Amino acid sequence: MLREKIERHILKVQKPSRYIGGEIGSIVKDKSKIDVRFAFCFPDVYDIGMSHLGMKILYSLTNSRENFWCERVFSPWIDYEKIMRENDIPLYGLESLEPIKDFDFIGFTLQYELSYTNVLNMLDLAGVPVYSKDRKNLSPIVVAGGPCTCNPEPLTDFVDIFILGEGEEVNLELLDLYAKMKKDGASKEEFLKEAVKIEGIYIPAFYDVSYNHDGTIKSVVPKNGAPEKVKKRIIKDFDNVFYPETFVVPFTETVHDRAVVEVLRGCIRGCRFCQAGFIYRPFREKSIGTIVNETKSLCESTGYEEVSLSSLSTSDYSQINLMLNELVDYTEKEKINLSLPSTRIDNFSKELLEKIKSVRKSGLTFAPEAGTQRLRDVINKNITEEEILSACKTAFEGGYSSVKLYFMLGLPTETDEDVEGIAVLAEKIEKLFYSLPHRPKGRLSISISAATFVPKPFTPFQFEPQALPEEIKRKQSLLISKTNPKTVSLSWHKTDISILEAVLARGDRRLCDALYHAWKSGCVFDSWDECYDFLKWKKVFEELGIDISFYANRKRSYEEIQPWDHLDYFVSKEFLIRENKKAHEGIATPNCRISCSGCGINKAIGGACFE
Amino acid sequence: MNDVRAVFEKLGRARFISHLDLLRCMQRAFKRAGLPLWYSQGFNPRAYLMFPLPLSLGIGSICEIMDFTLVDDISCDEIKDRLNKTLPDGIKILSVDAPVKKHTEIAAAVYEIKFFDRNSNIILLFNEFMEQEKIEIQKVNKKKIPVQIDIKPQIEVLEMVSKDGQAVIKLKLPAGTQENLNVNSMLEAFQNFIKSEIDDIFICRTDILCLDGKKFF
Ligand code: SF4
Repeated sequence: MLREKIERHILKVQKPSRYIGGEIGSIVKDKSKIDVRFAFCFPDVYDIGMSHLGMKILYSLTNSRENFWCERVFSPWIDYEKIMRENDIPLYGLESLEPIKDFDFIGFTLQYELSYTNVLNMLDLAGVPVYSKDRKNLSPIVVAGGPCTCNPEPLTDFVDIFILGEGEEVNLELLDLYAKMKKDGASKEEFLKEAVKIEGIYIPAFYDVSYNHDGTIKSVVPKNGAPEKVKKRIIKDFDNVFYPETFVVPFTETVHDRAVVEVLRGCIRGCRFCQAGFIYRPFREKSIGTIVNETKSLCESTGYEEVSLSSLSTSDYSQINLMLNELVDYTEKEKINLSLPSTRIDNFSKELLEKIKSVRKSGLTFAPEAGTQRLRDVINKNITEEEILSACKTAFEGGYSSVKLYFMLGLPTETDEDVEGIAVLAEKIEKLFYSLPHRPKGRLSISISAATFVPKPFTPFQFEPQALPEEIKRKQSLLISKTNPKTVSLSWHKTDISILEAVLARGDRRLCDALYHAWKSGCVFDSWDECYDFLKWKKVFEELGIDISFYANRKRSYEEIQPWDHLDYFVSKEFLIRENKKAHEGIATPNCRISCSGCGINKAIGGACFE
Repeated sequence: MNDVRAVFEKLGRARFISHLDLLRCMQRAFKRAGLPLWYSQGFNPRAYLMFPLPLSLGIGSICEIMDFTLVDDISCDEIKDRLNKTLPDGIKILSVDAPVKKHTEIAAAVYEIKFFDRNSNIILLFNEFMEQEKIEIQKVNKKKIPVQIDIKPQIEVLEMVSKDGQAVIKLKLPAGTQENLNVNSMLEAFQNFIKSEIDDIFICRTDILCLDGKKFF
């Protein structure tokens, strides 16, 4: 039996509890009563995947249906993969400990481009052909969702169905259709032809793509009744959308080992580099009552002593003070820590700040993203130097002596002055600190993380080239030379990681081959520094005659057909072009609450986003 | 305040929960069960929750001990019921009582080692292993210096049987604060002796004994 085999070998790996399931909250069902078995795969290790909210939601949702059984699957770390391959242990679901190749669906969530090789590797570990065309039977159907499906083209040879947008409704519709057609003995092709009629379902094999001589896309032509443009799905009644009453509680510590309540979806800000800010539109909130109830239910059922509020920007919640006051009433009584990531504290009342601090001191972080006001206007990041300095002042006087700042290098129109601006800001923070009579004892420490900018689909910067690696390296050196090493610590990723990210993010179908060969030559866990091997990737690109700069460093014209233009996220291309032009003119766009800029999403919801 | 001693089993998938993870898992179980643990006062309050004889990863047990203090007076039966409703697969509270003996009275533990897919040969080998004049293993002493020690006098074989292609060896090993021999260290010595790796086994701790040979709980 597979279970015995697993138990026999599992002690030889790091953190065996990643691979054995059995956690409180995990759902085991009687498989004889199940119509559809779904393997929900997160293409990274357990510790990361188990912190992911989307997976928790869809896991509970699918299992809330009696005749469906959804299990969790993560990418085994390299030590366990080796043991699995040596001992013929196929990839299995953590609930049943049974091979997922016998399931009806193998579903992936695509959170970042650098997990794509793991998708292939997991299919292979499952004992399933990686190419969609080689899987002739109805099951397993390979599906994928998540933010990267807004341009899933580099994975189109491997995945049968992509699910665009929010999954809470469409997933069940898809599984219901499958259950019915499976009973009727349908073939894979018959099923796909029906499935394509569901809104939000993208079947890449139903589109023929042709190319121009210069390598750009000439046309994308649908067939088999597939729509010309595939619309993403949006949950309209967000306050009443399904939310788990409980979570699976891991034994081993994970990245975010706590209860999480989603307070809002979408973002009003429209930062021009930020994909999430566009693809998760429109902005929707849960009511205070719902938030409090979900918090209580989760804390009671999991035993967690920490709850965090999840959103792209919690400070944009319309009644943030009221909501937090009600929440703190509960969390204080129950001695539960309340943590507020993605929250700007500048508009909190002093009283509230005290209350939250008494529960937990969260670190002081800012994401100005760019070093000068000019460049911040270009990227539409509306945080001013005064705001940063005044928030720092409050925080320093309240006992903080360290601050974390996030920036990007290689942004469109960036000059050396903008890079130096990062150092200037750090200097101002330092001066401020030492000028305060009531500052905390000891030295100030500022940590600056400077990521390389990666242009992403469905953002106003989707047309922009990524800066060349030499240019990024030069700017990094410039930054080093301008900052005071005694106070400031600088960090960034290897630049060649951002190159691969840039290639895959805006890639087309011709990259499927590259992905396959990269995986074959041993690339997995590309987002892990210890595993990433750019030389292998480079070799594959060279051998296949794929030009990295065509994908990463080329300025794309407004007229060019982008690989994702047949996918409709309701944010219109005209709007993105308008925003791109404004960026180059250095003009900021007000947030959606102040005024609507007509991105197009309101058409999808049949009315204005805000009253 | 209410001092309690629970005996629980840790079997199946739960064998792979490490000691540290078990502590966290139990704390959350108390929280879910609505059984508030008593916290020490002071700067860094900690719940009193204590496992006197930690179990190595992968080993099963039907005699794990967990001592704790609750804020409220709740009957033993109720504590047991409430915890059992919310514990993960493989962990089950067997009994709950007021503690009688002190941890320092623990002197030995009994282990049952089941060898799958092996014939009685393994028993012969184990006999040979035990017939050696000395069974030396390396340990690090308090000064962190490796020393050779003879564990032969520490191993007491209680039973060896073989049937249906499975061999079972029952051993008593010293355990507790005075003297301690990890069953895995002993097995390692055995593997070195037979010069082959053994991974087709299931080890279960079946008893915890005091110096006089009586059960600890
Ligand atoms: S339709 Fe207007 S208000 Fe709504 S998200 Fe788009 S720009 Fe913002």
